[in-house]
Amino acid sequence: MIKVLATNIISPLGETTEQNYQAVKSGSSALSVYDGWRNIPQVFTASLLSDEQSKRLLIDGYTHFESIVIRSVAAALNDSDIDVVSARTILILSTTKANVDELAAEEGSDGNYHSPGRSARRIADYFGFTTEPVVVCNACISGVTAQLLAMRLIDSGEYDNAVVCGGDCQSPFVVAGFMSFKSLSPFECRPFDIERLGLNLGDGAATIIYGKSSGNDESWKLVSGSLNNDAYHVSAPSPQGDGAFRAAVRTLEGYDTESLATVSVHGTATMFNDQMESKAIEKAGLSDVPVSALKGYYGHTLGAAGLIESIITMRAIDDGCVLPVRGYSEIGVSGRINISNEERATDRKSFVKLISGFGGCNGALLFTKEAAAPDTSHIAKDIRTLHSVKIRSSSLMIDGEQADLKYEGKEMLSEIYREYSGDYPKFHKMDIFSRVAFLASELLIRKDDNADSERAIVLFNRSSSIVSDRKHIASYSKEGEFFPSPSVFLYTLPNIVTGEIAIKNGYKGETSLYILDEYNKELMDRIVKCTFNGSGTKTMITGWVDCSSENEFEADLRLLTTNEL
Amino acid sequence: MEELILTLKEQIIDALNLEEITPEDIENDAPLFGDGLGLDSIDALELIVILDRFYGIKLANPAEGKAIFKNVATIADYVAKNRTK
Repeated sequence: MIKVLATNIISPLGETTEQNYQAVKSGSSALSVYDGWRNIPQVFTASLLSDEQSKRLLIDGYTHFESIVIRSVAAALNDSDIDVVSARTILILSTTKANVDELAAEEGSDGNYHSPGRSARRIADYFGFTTEPVVVCNACISGVTAQLLAMRLIDSGEYDNAVVCGGDCQSPFVVAGFMSFKSLSPFECRPFDIERLGLNLGDGAATIIYGKSSGNDESWKLVSGSLNNDAYHVSAPSPQGDGAFRAAVRTLEGYDTESLATVSVHGTATMFNDQMESKAIEKAGLSDVPVSALKGYYGHTLGAAGLIESIITMRAIDDGCVLPVRGYSEIGVSGRINISNEERATDRKSFVKLISGFGGCNGALLFTKEAAAPDTSHIAKDIRTLHSVKIRSSSLMIDGEQADLKYEGKEMLSEIYREYSGDYPKFHKMDIFSRVAFLASELLIRKDDNADSERAIVLFNRSSSIVSDRKHIASYSKEGEFFPSPSVFLYTLPNIVTGEIAIKNGYKGETSLYILDEYNKELMDRIVKCTFNGSGTKTMITGWVDCSSENEFEADLRLLTTNEL
Repeated sequence: MEELILTLKEQIIDALNLEEITPEDIENDAPLFGDGLGLDSIDALELIVILDRFYGIKLANPAEGKAIFKNVATIADYVAKNRTK
């Protein structure tokens, strides 16, 4: 259990938590129609920082994305007295695409693009953090994953404080991608409404500073959480909200749902998300708990969403209310939920946050302001390696033994597929990064007879999804040739492969992807250990997978198991 | 029409990365989704990109695709009638 020490939100609605809350409370939204924005040939509605605000927030020597993250972290730090220089303080950055707009700008020139990991390092250096930062890149659930990671790292005793910041800036990259999925509404989004037409994107950065909690603190506390994959489809949620349901149930295990003021949902206003979420809520026994859905105020702020929505919900409960669902008017989902476009009073002091994303991932967190029993889930466990696989651009090692292969590079991957995997046509649709990770997982699973449907997949890398990022940029940036492809855009989310592995094998445990500036065994081991401790995971596929070009890749994956001590 | 059907098959194989499948393997009236080639929701969106990119046809509503993308013959028929390039 950890407690909230300070928060900040930077969005088109304001630059402090209070400004943001007051704007939302008054029913404001920055959602506007964009026609011809940055040469995008289609109309869309989004909540974007104005040019004037962006310019004012810009910090010399840093990108737009880095600047809003730094501003948000600085404001939160200002409201707390934690020591950023301490070896027991960590920066966790939640983002889906970080500086990708800079990557698009520099195509064909010698630019100075900073990968998500490098960008986190630059932000950490700005404040003088001495520990290595971690980037959480888990699609739309990154902001929830990041908070859960903070809790696990602090509960495991690895750190005393965590600065968790989520941020994303909208760019033609992301807008074109969502357009290829036909997910964007031309109008203001209408969560759970019968006439909903899709989502709106939004700019934002938000920070929560967390510290240790005894359970008796009067501040907001993060009590528990769970991540669960649907193992259904990489871009469509399970129609029954299977993963969201299981994440909610695990998070609320042993908790009296009568104490919940609200369910803060994902509520993107796409047909599929809202429908499946309503099913998950009903199955989890939460039909009577009032729903909070904030996309009608902020749009979908991607890496910031999990943080912004947690912070605003805390603030609303402090104010004794459940906020109206802006954009909602008539029910358009079949699962029974308690939803209203009017403000409702509450004297309850807890809530659950739900979130779901591409790659089939789902997350849930439980927050409370009441006294809570200290978390005892962090039992030291003995973690053992069952099998290991090493793939390099020209070699393959399985459990330390060199495999005999004819080819190198991309052809070698096809050879491994034919030799050891095969008969899975989806393999040919994967990008190169996913192929490497997928094949490594196949080789591990081949060696292991024990089925574990709750198996976790936790991957680390450095280059994010750079190969697919470049391919996607090429599909929309030539004038008059705006043909973004959904299957290319999908793989610009590096966590997609965790979903591929989950789907192939029916794994419904946790799936996460973390980006580091450099390979860092100690930090990776720490995250793996606290994930075992905090999630009840029994077996895990984990390790380093990186791919910097079509023919340069490496994977060091292991299948781990644990015996509770 | 024969030529358009062949071109479409090649474009589908290329865009959907249907490895080890040749145009001859795809029958003109065999279902593309479900049992047939086993295409899914992302593939349907990818077919929309093919219509836009090569034939100048814009399908704003993916639901319209259901009837059009039944099989290669229905796509060819729709393209022949609606193409702008």
